[in-house]
Amino acid sequence: MKRTLAVLAAVAMLTASALAAPVIGQPAPAFTGVTADGGTVDLAAYAGKTVVLEWTNNGCPYVKKHYGAGNMQQTQAAAAADGVVWLTIISSAEGKQGYATPDEAKAIAAAAKAAPAAIVLDASGEIGRAYDARTTPHMFVIDGAGTLVYAGAIDDKPTADAADIPGATNYVLAALEDVKNGRPVATPESEPYGCSVKY
Amino acid sequence: MLRPLALFVAVLGLAGPAAALEGAAVSTPNVEARLVAETDGVQPGGTVTVALRLRIREHWHTYWLNPGDSGEPTSIDWTLPEGVTAGALQFPYPHRIEVGPLVNFGYDGTVLHLADIKVPDDAAPGTTVPLKADAVWLVCDDICIPEEASLTLDLPVAAAPPAADPAYAAEFAATRAMLPTPSPWPAVFALQDGALALALDAPDLAKAGLAAAVLFPMSAGHIKNAAPQTLEVRAGRLVIAAEAGRHFATPEKAAKVAAIPAVVVLTGQDGQTRAFELTATPGPVPPPAAAAGRDGALPLWTALAFAFLGGLILNLMPCVFPVLSMKALALAKKGGGDLGGARAGGLAYTAGVVLSFLALGGALLALRGAGEAVGWGFQLQSPPVVAGLALLFFAIGLNLMGVFEVGTRLQAAGAARTGGGLVGSFLTGILAAIVAAPCTAPFMGGAIFTALTQPVPVALAIFGALGLGMAAPYLALTLSPGLVRLMPKPGLWMVRLKQVLAFPMFGSAAWLVWVLALSAGPQALALVLAAIIVAGFALWLWGVIQQSGGGWVVRGAAASAALAVVAALVVIPGLAAPAATAASDTGAGPRWEAYSPARLDSLRAEGRPVFVNLTAAWCVTCLVNEEVALSSAGLAAAFQKAGIVYLKGDWTNRDADISRLLEAHGRAGVPLYLYFAPGAAEPAILPQLLTESIVMDALGLVSPPSS
Repeated sequence: MKRTLAVLAAVAMLTASALAAPVIGQPAPAFTGVTADGGTVDLAAYAGKTVVLEWTNNGCPYVKKHYGAGNMQQTQAAAAADGVVWLTIISSAEGKQGYATPDEAKAIAAAAKAAPAAIVLDASGEIGRAYDARTTPHMFVIDGAGTLVYAGAIDDKPTADAADIPGATNYVLAALEDVKNGRPVATPESEPYGCSVKY
Repeated sequence: MLRPLALFVAVLGLAGPAAALEGAAVSTPNVEARLVAETDGVQPGGTVTVALRLRIREHWHTYWLNPGDSGEPTSIDWTLPEGVTAGALQFPYPHRIEVGPLVNFGYDGTVLHLADIKVPDDAAPGTTVPLKADAVWLVCDDICIPEEASLTLDLPVAAAPPAADPAYAAEFAATRAMLPTPSPWPAVFALQDGALALALDAPDLAKAGLAAAVLFPMSAGHIKNAAPQTLEVRAGRLVIAAEAGRHFATPEKAAKVAAIPAVVVLTGQDGQTRAFELTATPGPVPPPAAAAGRDGALPLWTALAFAFLGGLILNLMPCVFPVLSMKALALAKKGGGDLGGARAGGLAYTAGVVLSFLALGGALLALRGAGEAVGWGFQLQSPPVVAGLALLFFAIGLNLMGVFEVGTRLQAAGAARTGGGLVGSFLTGILAAIVAAPCTAPFMGGAIFTALTQPVPVALAIFGALGLGMAAPYLALTLSPGLVRLMPKPGLWMVRLKQVLAFPMFGSAAWLVWVLALSAGPQALALVLAAIIVAGFALWLWGVIQQSGGGWVVRGAAASAALAVVAALVVIPGLAAPAATAASDTGAGPRWEAYSPARLDSLRAEGRPVFVNLTAAWCVTCLVNEEVALSSAGLAAAFQKAGIVYLKGDWTNRDADISRLLEAHGRAGVPLYLYFAPGAAEPAILPQLLTESIVMDALGLVSPPSS
């Protein structure tokens, strides 16, 4: 009995720790959220479609690097052309850098000519913690079966310098190309870089 | 906040140039940066250490080489006159900086990054070498700002040896004390219950005790940066553990981590802190004390006691008991008349056993040291060794049956006291140890795992204790005349008993032949059976000759023995290439598939629950467990209902994938039972001795109503 309890306790502990971070190749954590347009978003509703999650904070120099140079917008456009659903998520807590009201969020996106399917406002940080989103930007790709197939950085040049973008490998574009062609994602994870998410 | 800093900079700017060799300060919104030389100049061909000195605004921080959960390390780009070179920018050890739920590795206050600047031999005294550097850093509080500065420093070239600059001497000294030095202690890492455990083989430190230790991996993904780190002394080693990072998300990924370069920061009881750089490699790490009794390392005395006890129990094993009985019966035959000789014989026997165990243990340690993926019982993974043991057991059985005698004439001469008798006893000891080995694995698991995680002398002590335990009963018999006298009087019963004892030996031989058939295939089976028949014939012939005597027959005996040896030599190399193997099917039990890391990965990716059984044909415990706990139709039904996929890994022959999975869970050998619940990062480890209800409970299954 004692041994049984110990085994069960171990199983329970391991299950709990497994919730801490999503695992590549496992089902992506389910979530629902409110959007800047006043609607709601439910990951489960996109079954069958590829979904990109982008954590952002418009005050973060690393986010500015990719929006200032048009790199993030180009990645969004390429994704949209293939029918990929792009969700931009703001997990900054109220009062912290990057926090935005629905109108502010829409204005930021319009000014940057960003074109996500929706901007998700996650001031409670609930979605961010479910994905262990640590930086802005921090990128995730979920395939049509709901499996997490990429997590990490936007590219392989972890700097705040926009001059590094032309020579960089865009991991998100590469992952989307692999998913589109039914291949396993060649680089399924990388170390995200940028500012910390302002939970 | 900015104003006091600006004021400070202004004051420093006025005071600075008079005293120190430093470049102009450049102030960014959050940092005041400048280049500072350690000495007041440099000789031609000399080297001077120059610091990039960052004074960071209060509450803000810059980053180490591995910035942690976010951030970017400080970097520098030198522009130097021709012939002048700069070494790499050196980073003192960082601090953990908590940012909400995240942790960064970096610096606050003032930090110096050192670089060695070498000037050419032809630098002219009296001139200056202009150093230019573009430094880039990320500085964060709640928010992050990338900042940069173009810095300069004019370095005077002087013929005389330069003097240390007192203005910054204390800061340089403090920084040097914070630079990691190569670790003098070997480091290994292992995954234990979801934690990355790194063991430093530093016995002196372990004994002295440390106030704190912090692990900073050089690159991301090895640990969860924000996870609390624990420091323990386990089995004489310092073990730092923290929740493992994404590189260890699955056993397959974990198996690919070949090295972890890291800095460890150790704080002694006296409050002194030193940093060491090291590269940890995969290796056994003693498990936490709480788990020691269950599946891992034991305290030394307990391990030695268990080893001794285990050695005692070995005497009762079917493979050993007959050998020991032969010795005891020989002793009884002498009726305790020749006590001195018996005592010497007992000691010789003990020496044979202990030395054999030491040799076997030493071989195991050496192989593991050489990076071979072996565990205890490894010798049974080699088909030639298994075949040789089967022949040996068969021969011992024939000997017990009375088909032939060993050393008849020596014994007849009553020469127990002579060298021949001692050699005989010593060889019997070796024989006992060799035949005991197949029986060892299931009983010695804990002690042997402890042995393998210990420094070599301790490990050998454990193997020695195992041997001593095994030799103890016979040794006690020979050392105590009273015990010998207690033995029954010799008679016909002894002959009958010997004959009966032959059957356990034949049984052991049959088991080994079965192991061989599994690991090397039917062809090998045919070869070894042929060898057994040839050997049987040769030994019988020898027995006949022994009974009839005569000069020419002795030559015949030699010829037949040679024939047997030749037959064995022909057969055994033929076994060297093992065929594909499969553990036996479990009949009514759950259906299983062969284990492979890829299959486990893909099943887990599908979110299927997976039960993994690592087994080997020569592992008695494994076979018992499969029979008792894993072969019922009820379990099969429960598995099917719950959609559990059953993977079986067969370690009968050495298999690197399985060895890695064992290693990842702190095991040196089979059995190992793992249950991967859907979505769980780490498997549950089941006990080594299973019952069906343990399996059902651990896998969360409900026993179906029995029909």
